[in-house]
Order: sequence, then structure tokens, then C-alpha cells
Amino acid sequence: MTPYVTLVVKELADIFSSRTALLMAIIISFVFGYSFYSAVSLYANASTAAVDNPLYAAGFEPVPGVFVPTFGGLFIIFSFFLPFLFIPLISTERRNNTLTILMQLPYSLGGILTVKTLAAAAYLLFIFLLSLPSLVLWKLWGGHIPAVELLLVVGEYFCYGLLIIAISLFASALFTSTASASILAIAIVIASWLIDFGREMNIAPLLVSLSEWSVTKNLKSFEEGLLAIRTVMYLISLTSAFFAAAYFLLRFDLKNRWQPLTVVLVVSLIAVIGVSRIDLSYDLSESNRNSFPPKIVQYLQKIPSLDIDIYLERTDSRFKDYEKSFLKKLLMVKPDTRVVMASGEALKQNYGRFVYRIDDKADTTYSNSDEEIFQVIFKLSGISHEESMTEKEYPGYPLVTSVSQQNSIIYLYFALLPLLIAGVFTITRMSKRGKLR
Amino acid sequence: MLSVQNISKRYRHTESLRGISLEIPERSITGIIGPNGAGKSTLLRIIAGFENSDTGKVLHRGTPLSSFSQKKVLFSYMPEQLDIYPEYRVADFVDFIHKSTGHIDDDLLSVLHLPTVSDKRIGQLSKGYRQRLKLFFALCNRKQVVILDEPFDGFDPIQLIEIRDLLKKENEQGRDFIISIHQLHDAEKICSYYVLLDEGQVVAEGDMSALRRRFGNDSASLEELFIRALR
Repeated sequence: MTPYVTLVVKELADIFSSRTALLMAIIISFVFGYSFYSAVSLYANASTAAVDNPLYAAGFEPVPGVFVPTFGGLFIIFSFFLPFLFIPLISTERRNNTLTILMQLPYSLGGILTVKTLAAAAYLLFIFLLSLPSLVLWKLWGGHIPAVELLLVVGEYFCYGLLIIAISLFASALFTSTASASILAIAIVIASWLIDFGREMNIAPLLVSLSEWSVTKNLKSFEEGLLAIRTVMYLISLTSAFFAAAYFLLRFDLKNRWQPLTVVLVVSLIAVIGVSRIDLSYDLSESNRNSFPPKIVQYLQKIPSLDIDIYLERTDSRFKDYEKSFLKKLLMVKPDTRVVMASGEALKQNYGRFVYRIDDKADTTYSNSDEEIFQVIFKLSGISHEESMTEKEYPGYPLVTSVSQQNSIIYLYFALLPLLIAGVFTITRMSKRGKLR
Repeated sequence: MLSVQNISKRYRHTESLRGISLEIPERSITGIIGPNGAGKSTLLRIIAGFENSDTGKVLHRGTPLSSFSQKKVLFSYMPEQLDIYPEYRVADFVDFIHKSTGHIDDDLLSVLHLPTVSDKRIGQLSKGYRQRLKLFFALCNRKQVVILDEPFDGFDPIQLIEIRDLLKKENEQGRDFIISIHQLHDAEKICSYYVLLDEGQVVAEGDMSALRRRFGNDSASLEELFIRALR
């Protein structure tokens, strides 16, 4: 066994045999169970009217309808609980001085941090294993699972989990006290939420522009079935920056830590600014809900340039609908579209309008429905608009489940799984009994 | 020979070490002696590579040891504040060290009486046994220079004799020891060379006869010499 395999085994044992890990696994089982039960109940109730109505059924997508809410509980768990599991990986070693033991063995600091990260990532994978029973149940009931779209949601939480690991390592490199490090890690997460809140409330222009870098906002694109390369690269840059900062903070042999830390900061900023220029997204949703129908895309690509003036507040629900159902899709097809949010007196006087400009021609509408907007745009560009262009061909997958089927979720996630987890944990701890010659 | 040249270390408002220079002979058990706050632990951490000095360098046989990886090959270091994985059983910890280093010293384990507590959790051990486990780690890796920060804390008189004999035996087999030590009586029984520190400075160094010559008393004990040195 090579020394690093020994270290991997030690770190895995440290994480998986800790009481915090046990407690968290049981809590996650409850959260998964509750979220899955609620989502399945709602989906089943709504599906009753849709099973015999193809038009209505088209709106039933299992990932946004069931699996996004099921995994949604992980966001809070990861934000508030994971730091308490991952921070002791380093802070305890520092406080007890056992890092000096590891450093005298054939391990480098970089190697130790990598192995600890791998062990933490293994725990993340274990968390996702807890979702497997829900998938099995869904399949057994005759439900449909869009694999790629579901993997995107799992990928979202895995990326977020890795970021939390990196933030935890960074915090524990700054503080030997687990409490202080945990507070810092949670404060970093909450800072991202505050930016989101500022954007939603339109509190300050700075917060609105900062919100482009909010982790939560960026992660949402995964849930929408959108693989945005910019988001992936941004998360990689952010996670790498926290790892690198943790590494240099822990390098006790450096006389001046500020130099490498400044380099990390500058390189990270350059990377973040660089990735913001990447406009490459893939709609991986099974229903292609983030894209216009192919015919529309072809027509839009023929339009040379498009400017849009929007006379709505960002907080207005009409703008939010417009942004979600039209603007995002349009920017995927035509990323060079110029969008101006009106302000001041012009906003007050023209409130509710959308003004579209192509070359020197302009037209105004109050509508945020695709159909009407396309009529305006195609009229301006001189392209004839066919009614069939906006039709989609997604059948939808409504699923009616019985009360007994739904109750099986409760038995599984609130009793069976927690007992199984506790049993495996106890056996693991009991088996760590050794003898010396 | 291990040389320390002009080592200084300052923490915000405290100057812990002030331009320390000393020569530690090979095949010696060197005792670093001084009152609390004299800078003993800081000096040992700097020699072992776990802390940076503001000025100065550490040399081994004339070669500067500038990186941690150079020091790691040469030194084994046991810090005073070391709380080895309290949740682990002794056997698990020994097994981890064994698998990490690729070798195990059964004789050392026996001399330290660790097999008798092998299935106990480290956190449940008495202070003496926890010290034995720390010593096991410091000695098991067969490095040339063993640096021990207060290794005799927590031992009863019988255990102390056993540990002293163990260190002497290891020293006779060719290993060098640098030990920070509070108990002057014990230091006199085990050390062959002394460095007396006070307020971050070396106030005297040498073997017993050299110290006695310096302070003009041929029959003085280490305790008496220490008190004279600090006056």
C-alpha cells in the first residue's frame, strides 16, 4: 500500500466515522424524504387532470416538477451543515498539532489537502447515493427520468458542495478554532445570498451588477436544464481560488504569505473576468424549455441586430416572466442583442413598454408573450411569421401516484434509511479495534 | 554538527529570539534550558522547520537547510502541545505510522510498553502513555536528529528512568537529540551539552565542565549554574 493510499484510507475513516457525518446523513435522509414526498404529492395531484389531456400533459416535466424540489433541500444543508463537517478536517489537525505529524511522514502539504478534499468529495457522493431510492421508487411507479437533465441537477449540488469544501478549508486555514472558521464559512455563503436579495429588491445598482457573480444565481441555471460554460468555469475559478488561498495560508515555511495570496487574488479576478466573456450555453433540458423552437432560431439568426428598451423595474413580476420566458432564450440565440433597462423620468412615462429596434425601425408592445413579441420582431425585420413556428413537441410525463405509494417514501426515508445509516456507522466504529504485537 | 546562526524571531509586540547563534555537537543530547518565555519552543520549531525565523539560518555540517523538505529528511520533531488523534485506538495510530513509513519498530513499541494499551483510545490514555506514544512517533522514523519539546512531562519517576535510558541508548547508537527541558535535575542526568536561554538570547552553552569553568565553580550543579547564568 503506497503512503498516499494509507492517507486516503485514514481521511475517509475520519470523515465517515465521525458523529457529525452520521447526524448529517440522517438529517439529509429526512430532508430528502420530506422534499420528495411533497414534490410527488403535488405532481400527482396536478397530474390527475393531465393524464388524458395531451396539451396539459406537455407541461409535466419530472426534473423541475419532482427532482429539483427533492434536491433543493440540499442547498440549506450544504450551506449550514457541511462546514461543520469539513472544517475540523484541518482545524483539528492544526489545533492538536497533528499536522506536524502528517508533515513529517512522506506527505506534502499539497498532498494532504488534496487527500482531505477527495475524502470530503467522497462524502458528497455518499450524500447523492441517498437520493437513489427516490429514483428507484419513481421508476417503479412508472415515472420517467430524463437522465442528462437529472445529472445536471446532481452536478449543480456537487459543484456547490466542492465550493463549500474549498471555503471550509480556507476558513480553517485562517482560524484554528472550529467555531470561528464555521462562522466565516457561513458568512461567505450568506454574503452571496445578500447580493441575491439586493438584486431582487433592486436595492443598489452595485448589488444588481454584483448579482451576476452570485453563486446561487449562477447555480440556478443548472436547475433550469442549462449548462452554461461561463457558470462552470466561474465555479471552477472560485473553488480553485479558495483552495489555493488555503494552501498558501497553511504554508508555515513561507516568510511572506501575502505575496502568493495577492497572486491568487489577482489570478482569480482575471479568471473570473475572463470567464464572464464566455457566452456558450447548452440547453440540456429534455423539453428544450430554455430554447425557442428550431424554426424560430433559424429566423432570429437571420436578423442582423436587435436592440430592446425595457420600461419595467427589475423587481416587477412582468419583467421576471419576460426575462425567464423570452430574454434568456433570445440571448442564447443572439448574445449580441443590446438590452437597456430604462430609468428615471423615461421609465415613469413609458412604464410597461418594450421597444424593439432593428436597424432604423422600431415598434412598441406591452406584451411579454412570445407569440406577440415574435410578431413585432418579424414585422420589423420583414420576415413572414408562420403560426406553426412556436409549436413544441414535448409530450410531458404526468404521473398519478397512490397515497400508499407516497407513504412508502415516509417509511423509507424516515425509518429504514436512518436505521441503516446508524447501523453501518456503529459497525464501522466497532470494527476499528486493533491489537499490537 | 548542527549550527544555528543569528536566528531572530519577533511576534507583533514580543521579540522571542534575539540573534541566537549556537553550535550543537554531533552524537550529543543537547538540553535547551531556560525559564518560561525564554524562546525554547520557538527555537526548536525554527530548527525543525515548522516556523520561519525573521533572520538567520540553520546549517547541518556546513550546509544551509533552507527548505522544509531538507529539514524533514534530517529532523524528527515532537512538539510540546501535541494531542494525537484522541478518537483513534493506539493500534490504529501505530498502524497508520507503520503503513505510511513502511517500517515498524517492534522493540521500540515494547520498550515504551505500548502493546499493553493497544486497543485503548488515545484520548483515554494517561498523560504518561500519551507521552510514550508521542515519543514513539518521534523515534520510530529513524531520523538523525530528534527534537523533543518537553518530553518528560507527565512521567512518574520509574517511567522517567526508563525513558532516559531509552534516549541514552538511542544516542549511543548514533542519533542526536535536542531537548527542551524544564526539570534541571533530569537534564543533568541525561544531557551531554547545554544551551541556557533567557529572554531570547543564549546566556551560556557547553558541556558541564565548560559551564563550571565559565562560572568558576568546579562542583556546581546545573541548577546552581543556571541561577548564576540568569543573574
